[in-house]
Amino acid sequence: MSFKDTLKELYDAVFRSNYSPITGGILLALLVILLEMWYRPWGIVGGLRNWGEWVLYGIGFLEEAPPHPFWFSSSVLDLGLILGAFLSATLAQEFGIRIPPKLEIIKGIVAGILMGIGSALAQGCNVGGFYMAIANLSASGIAMMLGLMVGVFIGVKYLLWEIEHFSSQGGVEISTKKINPLLGLIALFILFYGIYAYFTSDNENGVKLGGAFLLTAGIGFIMHRSRFCMVNAFREPFLSGEAIMAKGAALSLFLTTLGILFIKMAGIQEADVYVTPTFIWGSLIGGIIFGAAMVVAGGCGSGSLWRVGEGQVKLMIVVVFFSLTNAILRYYLDNVWEIWDKGILGKAVYLPDIFGYGGAFIILAIVILLWYLFVDWNEKTEKFVIGL
Amino acid sequence: MVDLSSIKADEVLDCKGLSCPMPLLKTKKALQKLQSGQILEVWSTDPGSKNDIPNMCKKEGHEFLGMIDEPGYTRYFIKKK
Repeated sequence: MSFKDTLKELYDAVFRSNYSPITGGILLALLVILLEMWYRPWGIVGGLRNWGEWVLYGIGFLEEAPPHPFWFSSSVLDLGLILGAFLSATLAQEFGIRIPPKLEIIKGIVAGILMGIGSALAQGCNVGGFYMAIANLSASGIAMMLGLMVGVFIGVKYLLWEIEHFSSQGGVEISTKKINPLLGLIALFILFYGIYAYFTSDNENGVKLGGAFLLTAGIGFIMHRSRFCMVNAFREPFLSGEAIMAKGAALSLFLTTLGILFIKMAGIQEADVYVTPTFIWGSLIGGIIFGAAMVVAGGCGSGSLWRVGEGQVKLMIVVVFFSLTNAILRYYLDNVWEIWDKGILGKAVYLPDIFGYGGAFIILAIVILLWYLFVDWNEKTEKFVIGL
Repeated sequence: MVDLSSIKADEVLDCKGLSCPMPLLKTKKALQKLQSGQILEVWSTDPGSKNDIPNMCKKEGHEFLGMIDEPGYTRYFIKKK
């Protein structure tokens, strides 16, 4: 085989083939740990809320201007993720503007609103409220995991009902196949220009933001290549029994938790980072609402964003309504009702405060192991499968 | 190998514009309504379908005959078990 063939084979393996959920999960964990060491924990909702707040500011609902999206770290994380997914989709010839039928658009609006509500109550979506909450040793993460499972079960029930009663057709794709290589080059240019601009800026966080932009672009790229989907991980055990994505997510979560355990023990991040005052009600109720809605949306916090990068119009609609609802509800929860100080939705529980670092890690490892064993057992016995 | 372009499908399912998991769910539903040996043709624009549909066929025992890329969508051919 010539050198050229070797290069082509490498290119196809990295940029065109689909990675397995296991590979995706491991690479995701690596980048998430690097991000938390470099700057801050990974998150989705904070950035979406920032964008929603700009709309609210634009229509005069908010008096003070929110932080600039290019200089607000949560927003930069989301921009990086979408750009990385867009890069992956264009290079693999998988990008295209996909316009869904009417029913899907309505589902996108309703699901987006509910995701905004759920993530406001839990102070995070499946990423900040579940995956990163567990990894940052917060009890809220376990509560949201239970909530998500219940919610997803309800969402699957709805989907099965819908498929019996409605049939929606008539979506179209605006194919961009011919210009996808060009779009990919533009994405690469934006990525490198963005990193360059951050690293050479006078902003005190410029270098950190530049690194975060690159790392989240990597996260978006990997999630898209592996079609890493936490909706799939929670949904398929009920819908088809398939457990491969759940196993990938469980492995990823275990590795990230292990990595961040060291980060917190070493004092690289403050102990209370991502430990939200939502244990147990905010996370549980928020998780149920968010879980049901993400099944109807067909994307969670991170999954919706990488599908936006792939050109799925339904998920763009989801993200718009998700952002706006979250911004509005958080405005009332934070500033008008001042609910967090009252402790109505729960309190912040940092597991090492109670069990020590070792105890906290063992508890979380057991929770993750139980999840893995459950989906594996369910795949073989199909005890919880309620599919067609 | 079957010549896909000459296949006359018994049923055509349009999933254009739909995102995961709808194309797969609708495909399963449509297969339920067919007789054994009949052929279902699915039109999908979701990149996820390229793995999802063959995998589902393998798992459920249907014969996946192949796919053809058309401008703006992909055609999938499935023979019900």
